[in-house]
Amino acid sequence: MIGSVCAAVVVVAAVAVQLVLPGQSVYHAGWYNVALCGAVIVSLIAGRRELRRVKAPRVRWATIGILFGTAIVGFAGVLSGLFAPDNQTVVGAPGERIHVESLGTLSFPLASIGTSATSVSLERPLYGKVEVGERRSDAGSFILRAVQRNVAWVEARDPRGNRLTVTQPAGAAFLSPVLLMEHRQTIAGMELPFDSFNVPAARRVVKAVLFTPAQAAALAHGLGSSGDAAVLLAVDDEKERPLPNAIALSTGGKAVTVGGLSLRAVVTQYPAVEVVAAPNLVATVLGGLLVVGGILALVIRPVLSTGDDRSNVSQDDAALGKLDPSRR
Amino acid sequence: MSRYVIWAIAAVALVVAVIVLEPFFPSQKASPAGPAGLAGEAAPVFTLRDDRGRPVSLDRYRGRIVLMNLWASWCPPCRAEMPDLQRLADSYDDAAIAIVGVNEGESASRAQSFAESLRIRFPIWVDASQRYGRTYAALGLPTTVILDRRGVVVRGYDGPLTFDQMRAAVASVVQTH
Repeated sequence: MIGSVCAAVVVVAAVAVQLVLPGQSVYHAGWYNVALCGAVIVSLIAGRRELRRVKAPRVRWATIGILFGTAIVGFAGVLSGLFAPDNQTVVGAPGERIHVESLGTLSFPLASIGTSATSVSLERPLYGKVEVGERRSDAGSFILRAVQRNVAWVEARDPRGNRLTVTQPAGAAFLSPVLLMEHRQTIAGMELPFDSFNVPAARRVVKAVLFTPAQAAALAHGLGSSGDAAVLLAVDDEKERPLPNAIALSTGGKAVTVGGLSLRAVVTQYPAVEVVAAPNLVATVLGGLLVVGGILALVIRPVLSTGDDRSNVSQDDAALGKLDPSRR
Repeated sequence: MSRYVIWAIAAVALVVAVIVLEPFFPSQKASPAGPAGLAGEAAPVFTLRDDRGRPVSLDRYRGRIVLMNLWASWCPPCRAEMPDLQRLADSYDDAAIAIVGVNEGESASRAQSFAESLRIRFPIWVDASQRYGRTYAALGLPTTVILDRRGVVVRGYDGPLTFDQMRAAVASVVQTH
């Protein structure tokens, strides 16, 4: 019995760790899952032997609970370790809805320029809507968390001040004026977030590089720095040929006139969603409760035991060290 | 052990297996990309301004079928489609079907002069921050979305439609909704 219980505890503990510290690469390692399977098998074999040997109903039910719980928890853990997808960060434009395989649909909030959003909605068939915020949210076999990223809202106007449509043919959303800055470019030894957008009415393509306040201050040394994040804007023609004198730095949301356009970029934070696979929470809790309940039933002597109850204590309980009938 | 207990254990095992395995066999097919993928969902409602600066919202069209066309003045297919949209608007009773043109990202003055140059009489709204373009997952311009009387998206189209396509799309919604 000791072997079965110890192996069960190991399995539950290992899978519980996967829930507490999700997203570690070791959970997907072959050796880890073989070890987990091994612990489950040890528990099942030892428990089956015990079931054949013992006759007392309480011990039999406790053993069945432990075996069943271990199988459930182990199954959930190994399935997640071997078949669940790798960690991913889902980045979406404001107003965009992204379907994530095996999870559901993430709806990104429709924030507008200058306003901040902190949570993203998750919609799943047969489940209610869940708001994913900075605190972790359990969604079946996944753990989700919103993380804030720097994005840039851009606005383009012609020289007369008329607003112009901004498009992103290669971006997450075609008609979004929000640059998600998912690409990287190295400038002056600094690896910087980079994106681009089109202004079709003016036949211009604009490349944008994001600088943190510290980087912007280093870049603008001697010119005076406002302490704000900045966006370097480089305007090309529609065939992406650079135009002369068409590079400018937009700091603190101020408009710059460059390449025949008045451009304004406002750097703000917008949530993305970290999606980490984890053993199914319901199955793990259910299995864990069965194991814990089984162990408690084995080790805790009935508190309100009467003389009659004591006379019913079997040889099996005695074998577990609960009571020695020879001493009665 | 009684047969009932064995059946109970088997039933619980089945339920647990379904719970654990469900994410690995998603039953829901991925929606089609673009505005067509929004079919069946409630249309987002924003308060915008029309080309004369008056506040407007989709709410006022509840009870009517709405054909919403997203466009911009720099987009040649949008320009080509506009006269057909006006012809469609003329061929239906306003009380039953509303046709709305939503300019994406341009100034009201530009939207207004564009509409006047093409003698457009249906309402023109100005979506300065391109919110409808984002929420309808527009893949390009023009984009056309048809809403039923409850304000639910019925169909979404990426790219220009001919007059016959517009009429057929609206007629099918009138018959079924």
